[in-house]
Amino acid sequence: MAATSESTIVDGGAGADERWTAPAESPVTVVAHDLRMRYQVLRTDRERRKGWAGKVARKQKVSVSALRGVSLTVRSGEFVGVIGRNGSGKSTLLRTLAGLETPSSGSVLTSARPVLLGVSAALIPDLTGAQNVKLGALAMGLTPNRADEVFESVVELSALGDSIDLPMKTYSSGMAARLKFAISLASDPSILMIDEALSTGDATFAERSTRAMDSLLENAGTVFLVNHAAQTIENMCSRAVWMERGQVVLDGDAVDVARKYRWFAHNLAQGNEEKAAVLLRDAMEEGEPQRGAAQLAKPAVLDVERSVDRGEQAPEFEPDPFTRVYDREFSPPKKSFPGMSSSDEEA
Amino acid sequence: MANDLMTNRQIVEALEARGETVGALSPVGVRPPLGEYIRRLWERRHFIWMDAGHRVTNQNNRNRLGNVWLVLKPFLDAFMYWVIFALILGIDRGMENYTAYLIIGILMFRSTMSSISSGPGILSSGRAMIRAFSFPRASLVVSAEMRSMFQMFYSIPVMLVAIIVLPNHETPEWTWLILPAVFVLHQILNLGIAFFMARIGHIVPDASQVMSFSARFLMYGSGVIFPVDRFLDNQVVSVLIQLNPIYHMLALYRGLLMDGVVPPLGHWLYLAGWGIGLTVLGFVFFWRGEATYGGDE
Repeated sequence: MAATSESTIVDGGAGADERWTAPAESPVTVVAHDLRMRYQVLRTDRERRKGWAGKVARKQKVSVSALRGVSLTVRSGEFVGVIGRNGSGKSTLLRTLAGLETPSSGSVLTSARPVLLGVSAALIPDLTGAQNVKLGALAMGLTPNRADEVFESVVELSALGDSIDLPMKTYSSGMAARLKFAISLASDPSILMIDEALSTGDATFAERSTRAMDSLLENAGTVFLVNHAAQTIENMCSRAVWMERGQVVLDGDAVDVARKYRWFAHNLAQGNEEKAAVLLRDAMEEGEPQRGAAQLAKPAVLDVERSVDRGEQAPEFEPDPFTRVYDREFSPPKKSFPGMSSSDEEA
Repeated sequence: MANDLMTNRQIVEALEARGETVGALSPVGVRPPLGEYIRRLWERRHFIWMDAGHRVTNQNNRNRLGNVWLVLKPFLDAFMYWVIFALILGIDRGMENYTAYLIIGILMFRSTMSSISSGPGILSSGRAMIRAFSFPRASLVVSAEMRSMFQMFYSIPVMLVAIIVLPNHETPEWTWLILPAVFVLHQILNLGIAFFMARIGHIVPDASQVMSFSARFLMYGSGVIFPVDRFLDNQVVSVLIQLNPIYHMLALYRGLLMDGVVPPLGHWLYLAGWGIGLTVLGFVFFWRGEATYGGDE
């Protein structure tokens, strides 16, 4: 690879003027209705509990909610950015929308099979890039002839050159991400979901991938992009969804939402937890009517009752993380935002 | 799903009521109907074929001897048991060719044993593919079984050469030509076992620990090493052994290769019944869990 530095797609040439504008009216391609996702997870106490029982049991099953009732309606030609801090449910949302995971409740309807491009999707490391291209194309359901036809364009888009004949385990993470992106486009998807995978690509690739996405959008496709660098979302997307603790905080124009999120994240990074909590609350309040409108029907049963119905005995890890945010008297203690890394957002 | 508050139909109607243009929308992340599932699986046949082939040829990449191991491993396996049971312990029990008996048993049981013991891990080892692409997950099971079938293409010649070369030498007879028929039934049996094991292993990951023991237990209960029916007087146990499809499978292989006669129909029916039954039921069992395989377990 001739690239001098691995940089984000933002520095790679996608300027503010390349922002995608969605058409005013177009058919619905993705509908998510009241998505909830819970995982049963073992929680281990850091210190032994008091008493005799503490000698034996330090583990407890808890139920962690990754999505708490997300409703979305996305139309063709929309370029939707999903932002939020680490652990806010962005990737889970994308995997659920792509049908790779089944939600605990709620449903997803799409007009075509979505193709998800994730960071962790390592293909088969012992095979060469070229063999992985073939295998990936076949796994997506292409015929062998079609796989041969698209082969050249995949290699071209991946910009891997001669490295395509080396085993994939020798690739850098950026190279692997490029190859996976190129493979994903081979099946000519009309709904593409990208999970941070592009942020590892270099400048050449950033330009090619932007072009590829634009042509997909022009052909009435829909693109989802998860990225915790809100700048990228602001520069490229037409619409942004801000996620926090498994809920949608704000959903709307990319510039508007991304700026609010960045201001929130900036304050958080600076240690202004109180200010950040206020910003989050304001955004939540602003987003309230949207969330109401996005819901296709009022949820008839409360979440708690529903989980009892399904016989889940495990206690909720964070029953309602937003009560604190709404409580204006409450001043959050230090470390009230777990999972915050200092490099998360720094604009 | 049962606890859905709104059906898909209602969702579409609600959208239309808002004046949205709604085309044909279909649910994702749910299990497709069985027929549709089989159709999609058939569409992936090239993927299955290529995946299995690549994995066979690449699994020994890290070894110096590379794919020589495809032949060497069954050979060493047979050799080890031969040394212990035929040379050292001398369990021939008046059989005219115990060496052939043992080698056929060991090499043909190996692939069924790997279906039992590695079946529970098929889905977790295919995680990268599951997360990257949406395809019928049964493809992974079929591909794993196909890989073990490709390996048999190496171990069967090893077996045939071994029983010809080692004393008391077997001589090829016309019945050897019927071998592929047993082979096909054998593979069907393996596939059925693998479908069950794959889903069980996904529900209870501990299954992979338990299964390697039950596979060894089966080895002694199937007459792999010694003719188990001659050792037992217990009625119940011998009935259980008679039910065991692996016992019948080995009887078929041995009848064709050692005795030069076509074994009685009973053996064939038992093996075919078990194989087809397990595959059909196992496939349905596996399909019913399709929507769960993507989750974090």
